[in-house]
Amino acid sequence: MPDDQGLIRERLGKLGLGPRREDEIVRELGEHLEDHASALEARGVAKDTALREALDSVPNWPELRNEIVSAETEEATLNYRTKALWLPVLCALTMSNGLLALMQIFGAPAHFYSLSVGNSVHALCGFIIPWLISQPVVGAVAAYWSRRAGGSVRHQLLAALAPSIALLGLFVLILPWAMIVEKPSAPLIRLAAFLILTVTWVLLPAIPLLLGAAPFLRKPQAQS
Amino acid sequence: MTGIDTKIKRGSGELAILALLNREPLHGYEISKRIAAMTNGVLQFNLASLYPLLYRMEKRGWVKGKWEEAQSGRQRRYYYLTPAGKKQLAPLRKEWGLFFQALHRIAGVADAG
Repeated sequence: MPDDQGLIRERLGKLGLGPRREDEIVRELGEHLEDHASALEARGVAKDTALREALDSVPNWPELRNEIVSAETEEATLNYRTKALWLPVLCALTMSNGLLALMQIFGAPAHFYSLSVGNSVHALCGFIIPWLISQPVVGAVAAYWSRRAGGSVRHQLLAALAPSIALLGLFVLILPWAMIVEKPSAPLIRLAAFLILTVTWVLLPAIPLLLGAAPFLRKPQAQS
Repeated sequence: MTGIDTKIKRGSGELAILALLNREPLHGYEISKRIAAMTNGVLQFNLASLYPLLYRMEKRGWVKGKWEEAQSGRQRRYYYLTPAGKKQLAPLRKEWGLFFQALHRIAGVADAG
């Protein structure tokens, strides 16, 4: 009943749960209110009084609003984030690191290149090509999993890039330690080494991870 | 059931709702009516106490709401017990059974004294 729903919407205010869910809640509470008022009318209470009494059965509308929001968001946040972000992230990290470990165990060839920065800084960087080739699969699985769980495009991207982000986080933690605490005699060389590590183990794997994820990156469909 | 602590009411409400829905799917108003009728009004849930509980149970996956046409011809949101809700029913029954046994034992000791 639109009038009942209007009265409820007015008292509840915005719930911040998205228009679709809010409409559903208001509609459901409106139906309940209408039933309650009808039951009172059947007992001989005048129509207006019945509606007022039904509305008064809720002693504190702001408290009801908070209870509904709490019921809708507390567990939803946990479940949604776990399903749409943390599980795909865990999957991507396990797959990526598991593949790297397997390739090292089975002796996948590593390619090393010597790089020169300026006249004095030389660094060696290594790639495990088969591991890089395997990364699109990791990105694809993580992005697909996140999307299936209702994750946003941002969640899908974060899940797909998790192996690179984790290593970047590690390097960001290690770099200040290496530069400030250890006080290396050749800080430029140390810095260059970190930059090369970041390129080879963060930026380079991020490309195949993204390539794998790209076909699956899209907004989740609205739930029916 | 004014005066009874909200947590107790919520806990007992969960059991009452699961037990009711184990028999048949019901919409919110019908749930509150049945609970009041079956407990002779001792346990009462109104709009304010019922729906946050139902939504919480739905989020936990114990019940699932579905809009359907009622006998009156109006669309109502019927709640169905899910397999997870069914699993939850037995331990809840046991837990509340133990709770009441314990209370009964305490009351018995108090009476004897």
